[in-house]
Amino acid sequence: MNKRKLSSFLAIIMVLFLIAGCSGNKEHPNIVKDSDSNVTPKTEVFDPNMSFDKILEEAKGDTVSFYGWGGDEDRNKWLSQTVAPILKERYDITLEVVGMDIDNILAKLAGEKQAGLEEGSIDMIWINGENFYSAKENDLLFGPFAEQLPNFEKYIDTEDEEVKNDFGFTIDGYEAPYGKAQMVFINDSATTSETPKNAEEFMEYCKKYEGKVTYPALPDFTGSAFVRTLIYDVVGHEQFLNMEADKEIVKAAIEPALEYLKELNKYLWNQGKTFPATSGEVNNMFEDGELVMTMSYGPYSVATGIEKGIYNETVRTFLFDKGTVGNTNYMAIAKNSPNKAAAMVAINEIISAEIQATQFEELRSLPVVSYDKLTDAEKESFDKINIGKGVLPQDELLSKRLPEMPANIVPIIEEIWLEEIIGK
Amino acid sequence: MKSTNSNKLLKIFLYITLFTILAPMAILILWIFVGRWPWPNLLPATYSLRAIKEIFAPYSNVFSILFSSILLSLSVAILSAIIATITARALVLYDFIGKTVIEFLTIAPILVPGAVFAMGIHIVFIKLSLADTVLGVIIIHLIYTLPYTINIMKDLTESVGKQMEVQAYVLGASPLKSFIYITFPLLTPGIMASISMAYITSFSQYFITLLIGGGTVKSFNVLMVPFIAKGDRSLSSAYALVFIISTLLVFLIIDKIIKKLPYQDNKEEI
Amino acid sequence: MNKKTPYILIMPIVLLGVLFIFGVINGIVQSFGYIPAFDLTDITLDYYIEILNSPTFLDSLKTSLQISIISSILAVILGTILTAALVYTGHTEGKILQIIKLAIIIPHTIVALFLISILSQNGLIARLFYKLGWISSQGDFPLLLYTKNNFGIILGYIWKEIPFVAYFSLALMSSINKTLGEASENLGASKLKSFFYITLPLSMPAIGKAFLIILTFSFGAYDLPFLLGATMPKALPVQAHIEYIHPDLRHRPYAMAMNGLILIITWTMAGMYYLITTKKNKR
Repeated sequence: MNKRKLSSFLAIIMVLFLIAGCSGNKEHPNIVKDSDSNVTPKTEVFDPNMSFDKILEEAKGDTVSFYGWGGDEDRNKWLSQTVAPILKERYDITLEVVGMDIDNILAKLAGEKQAGLEEGSIDMIWINGENFYSAKENDLLFGPFAEQLPNFEKYIDTEDEEVKNDFGFTIDGYEAPYGKAQMVFINDSATTSETPKNAEEFMEYCKKYEGKVTYPALPDFTGSAFVRTLIYDVVGHEQFLNMEADKEIVKAAIEPALEYLKELNKYLWNQGKTFPATSGEVNNMFEDGELVMTMSYGPYSVATGIEKGIYNETVRTFLFDKGTVGNTNYMAIAKNSPNKAAAMVAINEIISAEIQATQFEELRSLPVVSYDKLTDAEKESFDKINIGKGVLPQDELLSKRLPEMPANIVPIIEEIWLEEIIGK
Repeated sequence: MKSTNSNKLLKIFLYITLFTILAPMAILILWIFVGRWPWPNLLPATYSLRAIKEIFAPYSNVFSILFSSILLSLSVAILSAIIATITARALVLYDFIGKTVIEFLTIAPILVPGAVFAMGIHIVFIKLSLADTVLGVIIIHLIYTLPYTINIMKDLTESVGKQMEVQAYVLGASPLKSFIYITFPLLTPGIMASISMAYITSFSQYFITLLIGGGTVKSFNVLMVPFIAKGDRSLSSAYALVFIISTLLVFLIIDKIIKKLPYQDNKEEI
Repeated sequence: MNKKTPYILIMPIVLLGVLFIFGVINGIVQSFGYIPAFDLTDITLDYYIEILNSPTFLDSLKTSLQISIISSILAVILGTILTAALVYTGHTEGKILQIIKLAIIIPHTIVALFLISILSQNGLIARLFYKLGWISSQGDFPLLLYTKNNFGIILGYIWKEIPFVAYFSLALMSSINKTLGEASENLGASKLKSFFYITLPLSMPAIGKAFLIILTFSFGAYDLPFLLGATMPKALPVQAHIEYIHPDLRHRPYAMAMNGLILIITWTMAGMYYLITTKKNKR
């Protein structure tokens, strides 16, 4: 009996030693990574305010990882075939694109922060409003760095609301614009001739094509933006910009819109008793002819859809007269990024007119550069781009663009929708 | 064996099952080539090679990631089968302190929601310098595969173990020898099943691979899931087919290797 | 020598087990509101209490239990029949087994794609009905997916899990059948009798384990209920995922507490399973 106890005790000791042996590695700063990553920690020494030439010097030879949603094959292609070669050639920076949802990126950063990891694995992050607010609040991001980028001053309209604020919260140089998105509505002129111009007409449209319209269940990103667009059309958008994030206040403000949505339910797909879970599903149902309308955050998605043969040639984009919500998506740098200099160089390059023009051409993402700041040659490079069929011109989109509400109101609306609208 | 009525029913049941598995596969393969397939067509209206082109495009990195992902999951599967075999031996043939605890541990990972374990172990792994390493991902996948493999091996060891004991005594062979020459061949079906099960489990992990492997460890599933989540049916189907075919190929190769093992001839006699 | 052997044999599992327990503890403390990275350091039960008091919790719990219990019971019965079919028709290896494996390989998200393209109001069956003139538009076809009775989700799980049960218990059943089952047949027992009195009872450890695995898996997994479920009520794991993707990071303890509740329920299921099986063994 005693021997038994002794040997089990020994076993436990051995295990503990093994664990201690593993954790001994903690002293080594170089968590196994690509061979070309630098061993000397740059975290403490990096100063974004030094001259950009010095930053370029420091960035040389580095590998910068860019984390963001990986489900857009066109963007993956653009990053690896257009952006990466330019960064390699001009600055000797290797761009590595990693597909990961923003929730998981932030979970990863949070874990690293909690474990006190000074040098993480994430350099650049593709991020926007709702998540930016919380990431910045919780000290996961590095900055300010945006104003230190030469191309920021050169190409970006620094007075633009969407450059100063993201979903109602000040950016303070913690992220730089990447591309612009805007809610658009999509239907096929061959099946439905109308393009509703406001919430009222939209209701009529749903009545006429009863059971053939729906939207993704909130909190789906697109579904949520669609509902916000309807709310804006019913109760106006200005009041939300400074609204306190309080459920009662928000509920009182959107009451007429809630009535509208409940009324709308009667004419939706399966009487609004249930909604498709994702915008992808809604798109699929539209493609198959189960729905007569869909919606997208990509204002030019019809053009790419027609080119890919997913949509009929008669599919077209439309907006409400009062406009639809639009927002910018951004690039941020992780607080524990081991390659901040390279990240800054990469971001600086991506906001240049040249790269933005390729993004516009290849991805049909609305550019973030200010047209007025461009040289004639640069203007020409944007003007000559054929944006494709079934879409609206950029100036019409921008003139009917409504600002996002503050990030902390969005989840409240999603909550109210779940409680008040489904099946009601 | 004589063919009885119950045997016929079982056969019918088997074929119905096989049909229900294979019929959707046909749809999957068809979807890869679909351009548009609107209501009420029973066959697609237009066809397109978009998904195929995308899969084979060099920037998609599909096949290099697939290859390293297979290697990773194979390592996990083999390690898992080895650990399962010896753990099952300990649990079935020996009495030791803490046996119930170990028995509980062999099922526990299935009983914990992925998010709880993932978030927790991430912090532990960063402290152990295992985050963002292949080794870290292998360890995590082992933890997830062992409940399946140990249980397969345990049941089997139980059913053949006692015979083995007897034979070993009779022949006066050392335990190791009797294990290698007598028990192991008897265990091969279980080891095969374990390797397959562990491989599938490892190859299908998403969230934990993403969190622990970060961007450093690329797995095929991590590449595939965003396209499925987006709802692009052609691309999803193409990725899924690569996923399925590669896995079947791996199984086929494992099967071939196991069959080549020398003592497989004994199997029929025992 | 012999006494030390088991301790050497269990070394790897102990090592991994310690890591596992560390991970779970580290994760579960987050559900009590301890996430220093977000300045959350007060240990509290508030998150649990709030979730338990929320009006949707009970509905979600019911939904999840319904999905997992119905699908697992059906899958384990049909799965056992499939195992028997494989054993008695002599298909314990080879091509047919590869097809069975196919279903295990296919990710749940792809199963959702199958179900939508076959069973939705726009699916192949609805289209066939339309061609046959039985319905005049998609809306006439009954809604089988996205419904509160969770038909689509249960079907999806059964499709995945019947082959799993078969595969998981095949090795044991075929080995028992080869040794004891056939022996008893040789001694004159009928095939049916030898199956129900010898092979099946002795295969129960594997079948029972498979049942526990699919029961807890279908209770805690998120893909199928997310893609095929009704918008309301949501299954618990879907709710937990929604809390997880909440943009406010300080909301994370809700997600973890939701997962903590899933954990408690799965452990209760496992506890009940062990109680039942050990009682049987004692008898």
